[in-house]
Amino acid sequence: MNQFIFQQKQAWVSLKKKPAFVATVVTTMGTTLGALLCILTLAYLLILQPLPYPEQDRLYNVAHAIGDKTGETNAEAFTYPGLLNLYKSQEVFEQAAIINYGQDVLTSLPNQPTLNTGYATPDWFEMLGASMQLGRMFEATEALDTFNPVAILTYQTWQQEFAGRPDILDTKVSFSGVSYRVIGVLAKKFVEPQIKATGMTTHIWFPWDYNLDVRMKERWGNISGSLTFVGKIKPTLSAIQVEQIITPLVHDIWVENVSAIPFFAGWSINMKMQSLQSVILGESQNTVYLLLAGVLGLVLIAFANIANLFMSRTAEQQRQLAIYAALGAKKSHLFKALLAESGLLMFMSIVLALAIAACGFYVMQSQLAAVLPRVNELSLNLVTFIAALFFALVFSVLFAFLSSKMINYRALNSILQSSGKGTGVQVSKRFRQALIISQVAIATLLVFANIGLFREAVDTITKPTGFSVENMTQISLSVSASTFPPAEEVAPVMTELKKKLLELPQVEEISQSGSVLSGFGLWALTAIATNENYTPESTGVSDNYFSMMGQALLEGDYFSVADVKDRNRVMIVNDVFAKRLSPTGSAIGLQISPGGDREPFTIVGVVKGVTMPEQSTIPMRVYTPAGLSTTQMTLRLKSGQTITREEVVSAINSVSSLYALFSLEVLQEIKQKRLFTQYATAITTAVLALITLFLASIGLYGILSYGTQMRRFELGTRMAIGAKRKQLIGLIVKDNAWVIALGVAFSVVVMLVIYIGYQDVIAVYLGLDLLAVFIFTVAIISLLSLFACYWPLRQFINQPAIHSLRGSD
Amino acid sequence: MSDIKIKMNNISKVFETDELETHALQNINITIKAGDYVSISGPSGCGKSTLLSILGLLDMPSGGEYEIEGVNVTDLSLDQAAEIRNSKIGFIFQSFNLIDELSVFDNVALPLRYKAKVPSDKEIATRVAECLELVGMSHRSSHKPNQLSGGQQQRIAIARALVAKPAILLVDEPTGNLDSKSGDQVMDVLEKLNDNGTTICMVTHDPRYADMAKTQLRLLDGAILTTPRLATA
Repeated sequence: MNQFIFQQKQAWVSLKKKPAFVATVVTTMGTTLGALLCILTLAYLLILQPLPYPEQDRLYNVAHAIGDKTGETNAEAFTYPGLLNLYKSQEVFEQAAIINYGQDVLTSLPNQPTLNTGYATPDWFEMLGASMQLGRMFEATEALDTFNPVAILTYQTWQQEFAGRPDILDTKVSFSGVSYRVIGVLAKKFVEPQIKATGMTTHIWFPWDYNLDVRMKERWGNISGSLTFVGKIKPTLSAIQVEQIITPLVHDIWVENVSAIPFFAGWSINMKMQSLQSVILGESQNTVYLLLAGVLGLVLIAFANIANLFMSRTAEQQRQLAIYAALGAKKSHLFKALLAESGLLMFMSIVLALAIAACGFYVMQSQLAAVLPRVNELSLNLVTFIAALFFALVFSVLFAFLSSKMINYRALNSILQSSGKGTGVQVSKRFRQALIISQVAIATLLVFANIGLFREAVDTITKPTGFSVENMTQISLSVSASTFPPAEEVAPVMTELKKKLLELPQVEEISQSGSVLSGFGLWALTAIATNENYTPESTGVSDNYFSMMGQALLEGDYFSVADVKDRNRVMIVNDVFAKRLSPTGSAIGLQISPGGDREPFTIVGVVKGVTMPEQSTIPMRVYTPAGLSTTQMTLRLKSGQTITREEVVSAINSVSSLYALFSLEVLQEIKQKRLFTQYATAITTAVLALITLFLASIGLYGILSYGTQMRRFELGTRMAIGAKRKQLIGLIVKDNAWVIALGVAFSVVVMLVIYIGYQDVIAVYLGLDLLAVFIFTVAIISLLSLFACYWPLRQFINQPAIHSLRGSD
Repeated sequence: MSDIKIKMNNISKVFETDELETHALQNINITIKAGDYVSISGPSGCGKSTLLSILGLLDMPSGGEYEIEGVNVTDLSLDQAAEIRNSKIGFIFQSFNLIDELSVFDNVALPLRYKAKVPSDKEIATRVAECLELVGMSHRSSHKPNQLSGGQQQRIAIARALVAKPAILLVDEPTGNLDSKSGDQVMDVLEKLNDNGTTICMVTHDPRYADMAKTQLRLLDGAILTTPRLATA
């Protein structure tokens, strides 16, 4: 132990003299290992760590796939009565819960926040093994059709909206005119399975009976994406068996109930079991593998760089090592001394790495919660620490081993005798070349991949959308009552509100409908002429919607003011749907039936299709007059102006007290939020490409500069016999060019291997323009390499030749 | 006069560090004529190597004037100095300084490849063969330097120094790394070359070899002790 402490002390003293070396090693290894630990912890969480629920491998999300006549899945969502039917009649699940999601305004608080709401049957929390901070979970008193108005808060909601009030139990909270009594607060550590969307957490839970889709209770022909069924299958059954049992159960009843609707003739229901884990994780495992590959590349580059630094340092220390050897140090003694240094450095690096990993978790949780599942469970855990310890050990030994490998123990003695001449410590030329090849190959691969992804993201961000969101804000209103007032009562209030809002100085124009970014519904329609069925996206719009959104009219007319006021049976379709309806002629005048004996719509206009921020293709869309009772409005403001929540709330209050402001969103912000993945990708890849280039340039510079240093006397000799600077630069470049070319060639081979192995995954990204990206990448790497050839040479060729020759004699 | 190969006037060299000024050379005046064989000797640290570096344009003097074959070479750019070294000066180093990766032939040919106008391959081959012949090493032209003995390596270095037909050979302790037999052989080669008209300037601390030169200069603390016989003549 004494020996160990002595060696650590020696290592510390020796390293203290080389602060630049220590700083380079610790920052390079610390940052890259930090990134590695961060991604490894994430990978463990997403690939290996089970969900934090009891017997989670038996938890399944049940999907309700509706197949059309051709048998192809048309939509994957439950009908309300279908869901209830399954819940009541199934016998394959040990425990089962039906869940629904929504949003509502908490009107009993002065700031009236809009909260994410969840509605569930009592088994839900028990199945998830939830524990409570305060109070109780839902029980039999909240079972189906009990209509017991109670609520459970999440820990975060309790803290944020109620400041963690200890007397929260039995407090009343009001939503849509219903007053609920708080019966419990979920524990801080409860993790909600994010089934509906990654990053979407529920703020408050109500009994199932109060869910917002309840109006669809009897409608077998309507589906809702929020209706969810989760169950724990009986241990004796497999997922496939369960599918086989419940499919006829659901199918038969549905067919019986939609038999009166000709649209659904020949359609079928297929039940699909999806493990809760796969639903929550989605495609994220691919992302993790990509991240892991990227970060491993970085670690390899960093390793090559630092290995090179360690070896240069050993070369520098050869005299000192020779003295140790002369005094009787064995090879193993020298190794231990080197290990003490590398161990100390790796310890410092890993401390930095853990700090960086913790920062990484924070960034992921605050920025990437909507992209990566389960990130809220990330923290420095046992896996992180074991990995950290492992890497610290492995890299310490590796660096010490590489350094000691360079020592020619026998030649060490001659160093002292021949006054510093000789080659007791040297990095072999072949090893240096291998380092250069690996550096160039990894850097080329990483930079190429990053630039490729960067371009893809930037292309999506800058793609023309066919609509404008400049200076626009959309608002929507909710009603503070349990039942929605009839349309004829709402319409005059909305007209009055529109007038009030237009009086505000910053408001230029108002469209009494949602914006182009509000989303669309699906509508089952039949073209009367051909009797063909379609399910286009649909929405209701105002008369000035298209002109305000900048969506071009191709044919026919916009809706008139009268169309909207009287809700005339007219329809505007986009060019994609028009083409489907009438591939050669015009769609104007065609009649479209919404089914049953309802009056058909007549197409009066065709507009150009718009691309949503994250969409690559334009779906079929139809637009109908929204009517004057629509409680959504889109405001166009004067350039550079904004409108506050308070201004809108006071306008609403001046008109009626029955309505609350449900949401106010700036369209530009919604667009950016939808493009978050692209923005995040663009920034991450740009940063990664720069880091890679930076690391590669340090590394290449280090190796090439060492190589040049080794050739100092040769260069001096060449200068002495008349070589000019240009000729020497040419020489070094020529000598290294083939190694660099080999590195590039190697990267091409690796890319081909990856391409052959993962053709189907990569095919999406492939295109001829990638060749340009590749050429660009190779050009960057070549320039970098040229620079790394020239820069270390400078010190020799820009000085009189004697500087390079001195010490040779 | 065209037969004056080298003329140094009041050459001095000062090494400056933050606190110290070392006068390595002071007021050196040397004239070397065509066909001369000059030795420069003196104790360790007297400035021999510095003088040879300046003579060979490997380093710049701090003061004074320097001419090679009537051309002022006191203030040259690095590339201009390289060009003069290539065409006018042949170097022979104590440690031979051959390039290990290149064959004997390519080592000798190297100065020709650095010429402003590179001769044809045939011309290079002829000239290299001539020079190897002069030092008696024709049979080794495809060997690598590390396959040769020290004495043989030094003779290759002499061939390389001669290949571009320089105005003067600058020789730095040519026998320093050799045993006495090989040393004698190398000295014989030099003597023969001088007999055939090659101008030589040699730095050595070995009085036996210094005596072989026609003109002997002695350096002490950066200044010349003995007035050269030929220079006063």
